Amino acid sequence: MFASLRGREKTVKFISDFVERFGIKIEFDEENVVEKENRYFLLNDRLKGLIADDFFYAGVYLGMVKSDVFLPSVNLLKIIAKNEKANKVFVDERSAWLFICGRDLFKRGITKIEGSRKKGDYTLILNRYGECLGFGIILKDLDAVEKGVVVKNVLDIGDFLRRERKRLEE
Amino acid sequence: MLQKEFFIKRYEALGWKYRDVKPRQAIRVNMINAGGWDVAERLRALGIELEKIPFLENGYWIKKAKFSVGATTEYLLGMYSIQEAAAQIPATLFTDLRGNVVLDACAAPGGKTVQLADLMDNTGVIVALDVKKNRLNALANQLERCSVKNTVVYCLDARKASKLKMKFDKILLDVPCSGNFAADKEWFRRRTFEDVQRNAKLQREILAEAVNVLAEDGEIVYSTCSLEPEEDELNIDWAVKTLGLKVEKISCYGEKSPTKIFDKRLESQIENCRRIWPGKTQGFFVCKLKRA
Repeated sequence: MFASLRGREKTVKFISDFVERFGIKIEFDEENVVEKENRYFLLNDRLKGLIADDFFYAGVYLGMVKSDVFLPSVNLLKIIAKNEKANKVFVDERSAWLFICGRDLFKRGITKIEGSRKKGDYTLILNRYGECLGFGIILKDLDAVEKGVVVKNVLDIGDFLRRERKRLEE
Repeated sequence: MLQKEFFIKRYEALGWKYRDVKPRQAIRVNMINAGGWDVAERLRALGIELEKIPFLENGYWIKKAKFSVGATTEYLLGMYSIQEAAAQIPATLFTDLRGNVVLDACAAPGGKTVQLADLMDNTGVIVALDVKKNRLNALANQLERCSVKNTVVYCLDARKASKLKMKFDKILLDVPCSGNFAADKEWFRRRTFEDVQRNAKLQREILAEAVNVLAEDGEIVYSTCSLEPEEDELNIDWAVKTLGLKVEKISCYGEKSPTKIFDKRLESQIENCRRIWPGKTQGFFVCKLKRA
């Protein structure tokens, strides 16, 4: 079922709170965000006008709430990445590949930082082409350390493969 | 008679001499996600050798790859999909997809749904159906990976599409079928003629329902990866005679379909269908239908 209006407000707040941890704000139209079994989708007006309430997937998948924690989609990260002011860490080729394989980031792999460098903040991870590979949590103030693991991997695009493997194993 | 002999004799009766074939792996560049990049060039830089597929605008065969083409950053970013060459043909046969309301009636695992969204430039609406819920996760995964924005997915049998209370400008019927030996090395051992007949019946039911939800001037593209005429020309001949459809001329890779199948004379317009015998691609059948 679609989220009730109150549910929608709560949903959008989950998403807004998540986005703010990247140092920016994005306004989502509450009326265009729908919920299905704890998964959240952003619809354009055309989809909104014809969708039935027993859909499985629709529009842009934004993420899901599990145990009161919002787990974003890669789509949402791509939306955040379009904002010039969002926290971003650019990494070299080797670090990009390791990150996609689920590994954390070492300071030596970072080539450029935009936005926050502060411990505890979220940051997007981008490759040398400026493509968003996922996001992580800054573990240590990025200006204060010379080496070691500095960003913990939370979600990366390699998740698509891991999901598919898991599905095939089931 | 052994199963294999039975089927091979049928192919010979249709004018094709059986030979063992292994189709080449192919990819299709998703233009909406390419971000202005020459994706083929990026893959070449990684050490993946590609060969342009001459009959497809965005298709490439993999000539050589040091690693799986399903595990590159470019793949995970949705810049391309792994899609067999013949399977890339059906979605390209519609005229003017942009802004349309499109039904992908048997959508999972979603390769053609993503291709439709790409051809539509994420405009309009795609309604994607599949009857098997466990396959919908694979479909959703593809849609997310390739940043598809214009699609709604339902767990629904294509034979019940009327339940949606919608009319569609374009309908893709890539129907469940018996497959072919080129795509499945165990095919001759696994398949029986009864399977073919059962699938043909299901396909007719799907075709009939598609006509119920087709807009007045709408188009249906019907495809199978089966070489068995019961699922191909004979079904389309039935659709022309029973459902008030006509077969449109198309221009794509493949041979004109025969209009005489095992001594049965079919409507002459059946020659507008395309039959693709295994060789450069897997076995395939495709045609475009409109109301007569």
